[in-house]
Amino acid sequence: MSFTIGRRAALMGAAALGVARPALAAGSVTAAIYPGAWEEAFREHVAPVLKRQHGIDLEMQGLFAVDQVAKFAASRGAPPFDCFVLDPGPRITAIERGQFERFDANRLANKAQLPDGMADEWGVATGAQVVGIAYNPKKLPRPTGWDDLLKDPWVSKLGLTGFGTTFGTVSLIELAKAFGGSETNVEPVFTELKKVLGKIAAVGAPAAMPGLFQQGQCDIMYTNTQTVTTLKDRGVDIEFVAPRTGAVSFITTLHIAKGSPAVDNAYKYIDAAISQPVQKALSEAPYFFVPVNKGVALNASLPMRSLDEMSRFVTHDWAKINPLRAGWIDRFNREMAK
Amino acid sequence: MNGSGVSGFARIGPALPLGLAYLAFFVAPLFMLLAVSFFADDRLTVVGLDNWRKFLFDAFHWKVVADTLLLGLKAVFATVLLGLPLALVWRGASPFWQRVLLFVAVMPLLTSVVVRTFAWIVILGREGVVNQLVLGLGLSPEPLRLLQTEFGLVVSLTQIEMPLLLLPLLSVMARFDPNLLDASASLGASPWRTLFRVVVPLVAPGLAAGALLVFASATTAFISQSVIGGGRLVYLPALVWQQAMINANWPFAAVVAIVLLVSVSAVIAVIAYAGRVAGGHAHGTAA
Amino acid sequence: MARRRSPAEISYALVIGGLAALALVILVGPVLVVLATSFTDSRSIRFPPQGFSFRWYELLLDEVRSRPIHRAAGNTLHVAALAAGLATLGGTGAALALAGLRGRWARLADAFFMSPMVLPGLAFGLAALMYFTLLGFRPSLELLVCGHLIVVVPLVLRTVGASLSQRDPALLDASASLGASGFHTFRRVTLPLIAPGIAAGAFLAFMASVDNVPVSLFLSSARTDMLPIRMWGMMESTLDVRVAAVSGTLILVAFILMLVMERFTGLTRRMRG
Repeated sequence: MSFTIGRRAALMGAAALGVARPALAAGSVTAAIYPGAWEEAFREHVAPVLKRQHGIDLEMQGLFAVDQVAKFAASRGAPPFDCFVLDPGPRITAIERGQFERFDANRLANKAQLPDGMADEWGVATGAQVVGIAYNPKKLPRPTGWDDLLKDPWVSKLGLTGFGTTFGTVSLIELAKAFGGSETNVEPVFTELKKVLGKIAAVGAPAAMPGLFQQGQCDIMYTNTQTVTTLKDRGVDIEFVAPRTGAVSFITTLHIAKGSPAVDNAYKYIDAAISQPVQKALSEAPYFFVPVNKGVALNASLPMRSLDEMSRFVTHDWAKINPLRAGWIDRFNREMAK
Repeated sequence: MNGSGVSGFARIGPALPLGLAYLAFFVAPLFMLLAVSFFADDRLTVVGLDNWRKFLFDAFHWKVVADTLLLGLKAVFATVLLGLPLALVWRGASPFWQRVLLFVAVMPLLTSVVVRTFAWIVILGREGVVNQLVLGLGLSPEPLRLLQTEFGLVVSLTQIEMPLLLLPLLSVMARFDPNLLDASASLGASPWRTLFRVVVPLVAPGLAAGALLVFASATTAFISQSVIGGGRLVYLPALVWQQAMINANWPFAAVVAIVLLVSVSAVIAVIAYAGRVAGGHAHGTAA
Repeated sequence: MARRRSPAEISYALVIGGLAALALVILVGPVLVVLATSFTDSRSIRFPPQGFSFRWYELLLDEVRSRPIHRAAGNTLHVAALAAGLATLGGTGAALALAGLRGRWARLADAFFMSPMVLPGLAFGLAALMYFTLLGFRPSLELLVCGHLIVVVPLVLRTVGASLSQRDPALLDASASLGASGFHTFRRVTLPLIAPGIAAGAFLAFMASVDNVPVSLFLSSARTDMLPIRMWGMMESTLDVRVAAVSGTLILVAFILMLVMERFTGLTRRMRG
């Protein structure tokens, strides 16, 4: 008998809650996005455009590229998001694993504004990233090269993160090169790190690095220019340095997840992200994204003046790096553990 | 209770809905976890013990198990070291102050764990509250390193978990006979002797009940461990998280999760047993 | 008691008093620090806070910029209400049944139902993720309710169980001997007696669900974001001052709810029991 009461109360309760239930808008799209600066930038500039022009709500999940590929693999056919945002390495992995829908750039209204070679059958570029060293000029002298990271006085203020992200991987590769390693040989990094491990200020998850820097837990780290400008905008003492061997650059791309239930909305999201007004807004303070739109002039504060300059930056061959990377990630986590 | 000819079914009937929910959402998932751990590949196609072998034959993993259990024990030690004196003070306080102290003890339990973890970043940071005090008082020329150390982690866990210890401890403490303490004192025992010979054995069951909750909670506190502890302190929950969500290696993640489950349960069983023995002993002699 | 104090007594008072004072500082300090930080006027989290303003609370109310936080909070409340509601119904039923059992089976059943409280939540969270995914479910709030239900039920079982054990068997016998049916006795005698216990259990279950990390960590997704997980993200990456404002809000709400529950159900007494 008490069951009837229970059930009735439960139904009533459920009905009452149904009203309070957050309604999912008729149109929505879920995009994976890098945590931090990218998430903030897209929330401020892409989401409102998508809502205004198409009535589509943009949901974002903060995940780094490698994590997106892993999360998709773990979801077993029910994609956890509709769009990827990836760097070259994970992009190749995702293509190999069949994680993308075929991409048709003709469905983008803004296709004509894309520079040549910025779209293919898998996706479209949304910006270029530049990676180098960031340091606190009030606490440390200006470093000049990657090897400075492991020298005094910088090493005791160094914030370290592993191979789990593209910026972490390329930085550690460049660090390895400074000590005689190469794109496929990062052994010197492990050897050199072992010597100074006790001095290093912090070892953190990639997403934690800006927070650690802001709290003064570390005063030098490797990161992309967007993170530096966003932190600076928040009043943090931080400066970007291109190491003397050159800053690293790579193109970041957007893709539609295989099996996405919202392909149309995904195209609209991507279209909005590469549109002239959004790209222009993203290329200005505080984000300074390097735009991929012919209608947006690269302004003086950007780390590169035109996409042609990419050739002056250090780039990497991800087909060679990818097979080794899982091993590096694992090894880094182990060797850093106390 | 058992009169009036109620059938056995009617008596356990009210437990059925919850029982079924437990089977569907608790027992079945745990069996699934066990099943997944016996696959050799992350696409779950080949059955094999590979992932168990990978875990068991690697000293690094054993160190992580040991570190995790030790972290739990350190948290238990720190909460007892601070919680027991607080409980003693509570016992001697007036009814009004007892209520206030109880409220203070419970309050953190109802503020989100994430909030409490966040507070400790602000307190333990290089430019945080503690370091400003230390530098301001000239106790150290350099800021102390507190975040990303196990010491800092244990301190924050002490606050985060202390209410779990205090609640059962206070309930036992409220029950025991104050005459026992007077008797002990009048027999000339020093307060220290009374504490260790009379009070501690008497409150042992409450202490054990609280200790096992603290242990269980501290060993699984992933967010505190990763945010306060940082990348150099690796515990089982971080390993579970990395393998499941970053490497997408479910079988290996399942193995680690089962090891966490079994090792934590084993320690909990020992604490519970110790509590029962101490409690039985104390009540036996006190009666 | 007013007699000369031996060195042992003095050292006892100093050590025990000192440790207790330290315990109080450690318990209360962080809460106060968070509250103070949330009213800062500066753009980054520092202590002591610079200036005093409500700007971060205002930003928290911003419909557009804080939408993800609002959504996560909405999801969290939705899940907590359902999980606590179901846990209260199921848990009260189970507590009634358990109270009627004796001996070895009663102890076993009790241990079984209480086990989610001591088992590592993270292992259960992962198990639930694998289970639901392999059965073909997509992440949803309903799945989160199922997961939370399991981890919060023990709180209801404990508070209701405690109030059942304090019930006077003579009352029940009296009711039965006066010819009342089992159900009538339950509604007129047992239910009023255990009502405060049920209310306290429901409240604790609700709060535990709002606070849950280990299960949400695995079962939530972009569409079903939960507040603690979102806060973790904000805390770890951008260290946005809004984290402090959300924390301040949560502390205030918990404080008020606790005062209310203390007034009506003697909450702290029940939690102790």
